[in-house]
Amino acid sequence: MVDIDSLRRDWVGKEFHRADYTIKEQQVLDYAASCGDTDPRYSDPSNPDFEAHPTFIGCLGNTRDAMTPKDFPGLGRGRSIDGGKSVEIHGPIRPGDRLSARSEIADIYAKTGRSGTMVFIVHRLNFFNQNDEPVATVDLRQIKAVEG
Amino acid sequence: MRFSEVELGDDLPETHPDISMDKVRLFVKAAYMDFPRFTDHEFAKSEGLPGAIVPGVMSQGFLAAMIHQWAPGAKIHKLDTVFRTTMVVDTSATCRGAVTDLDEDHHRVEVDLTMLNHEGVTSVIGTATVELAD
Amino acid sequence: MILDLHTHSVRSDDGRAKVDNYCQWIRKKELPLDGFVLTEHRQYDDTSDYRDLEDQYGLLILKASEVETDYGHVLVFGVNEDLTRSFNFTRVDNHIGDVLTAARRCGAVAAPCHPGRPNVGLFAHYERKGPIDGVDLVEIYNGGSRPGEDEMSEAEADRFGYRGFGGSDSHIVSRIGYAATEFDDPIRSIEDLVSALQAGRCRARTFR
Repeated sequence: MVDIDSLRRDWVGKEFHRADYTIKEQQVLDYAASCGDTDPRYSDPSNPDFEAHPTFIGCLGNTRDAMTPKDFPGLGRGRSIDGGKSVEIHGPIRPGDRLSARSEIADIYAKTGRSGTMVFIVHRLNFFNQNDEPVATVDLRQIKAVEG
Repeated sequence: MRFSEVELGDDLPETHPDISMDKVRLFVKAAYMDFPRFTDHEFAKSEGLPGAIVPGVMSQGFLAAMIHQWAPGAKIHKLDTVFRTTMVVDTSATCRGAVTDLDEDHHRVEVDLTMLNHEGVTSVIGTATVELAD
Repeated sequence: MILDLHTHSVRSDDGRAKVDNYCQWIRKKELPLDGFVLTEHRQYDDTSDYRDLEDQYGLLILKASEVETDYGHVLVFGVNEDLTRSFNFTRVDNHIGDVLTAARRCGAVAAPCHPGRPNVGLFAHYERKGPIDGVDLVEIYNGGSRPGEDEMSEAEADRFGYRGFGGSDSHIVSRIGYAATEFDDPIRSIEDLVSALQAGRCRARTFR
């Protein structure tokens, strides 16, 4: 069994990566269309409040570099599973915005479920816009299957 | 839907989002998630999945769309979901919501969210904090 | 008297329900519940005090725990300091024999929950490793069960002579009360609950 206490001690709460993203208008439109959201704030560029769909930000930062520190130990077997996401919006995100995401691991814990023993790694990304204003906090819960 | 019109326990109108391959392909390109497990049934099966699966974060988009359909102009402050099981692309899905708390001071409501797969099994649970117009 | 014996609040990692929201939901929806038991995952909450909510809503709110063992998940009612020192509630690989023995020694009740569920249910482990001694009560109705799981729980409990109880396993507010347990006598405290479960003066109910 993985030593969860040791992992938590070594990794939780430390910022380990920054990445920049530029928000593109077509991407924002396609995202809303694919989700079937016809609210003009997310689907009509001529709307004065046009902005990215509130859950759009949860798609940024799904890269290995943004989620896992370089020397983080390999855990378990096989591919990891997406265990859930929390998106908290602090301010509007609009096409043309240049966002910076700061990554940290917010929590690590083990539990058992239908598919066996799992380690949950909660990745937190704090997003800031070009004015360094916080615009969103996203928690991604990544599941790794491990030997029980 | 205005805050003054909402009552604790209200159900949001159920929606049946389009989880066809066309929509998933559009989504994964917009979301930088263009991986074959989402867009190729045979590849997904080779990985032990029942077929290409709907990205978890796309289910968040469907649930938010349900909220906007119920209350156009509503502002979602937080949406938190737990993914419990997979949904297979090209099947059907159902989104449901219910109001579980009202914050009179900020005109915000708490909404329970669930998404069921084509077999009626709960694939996503969650909550949202939503600000409504006066 | 009907109590939901298996609920989670925001104190559980995957719980998204606030306890006061459970209370107002029960009253607003006029659910046939007189109270509920918070069974947070891998912990016992010995700090939260819900007496004000109990008074405000006229509901009984008790605290227990859902722990994890080599034979699946187990609810423990009547947790006390002695019991929390007997095994590590945070571990996912407790030996079920240790949990059952410690509970009995400390005057608590340990009862496997969702026993018909793959991997985290007792009977899945029985199929692979054979039955164990010390079990006499299992959750036969669980509000989070998938089709067939409760049916298996009920049939296997019957086969092994186990008594049954029910709980919703709710993680969000609107799912409380999907399953529950009806008691013959009034329950006013965790001690009353433990006594009633030990005496078998209760039965599982489902409201799905």
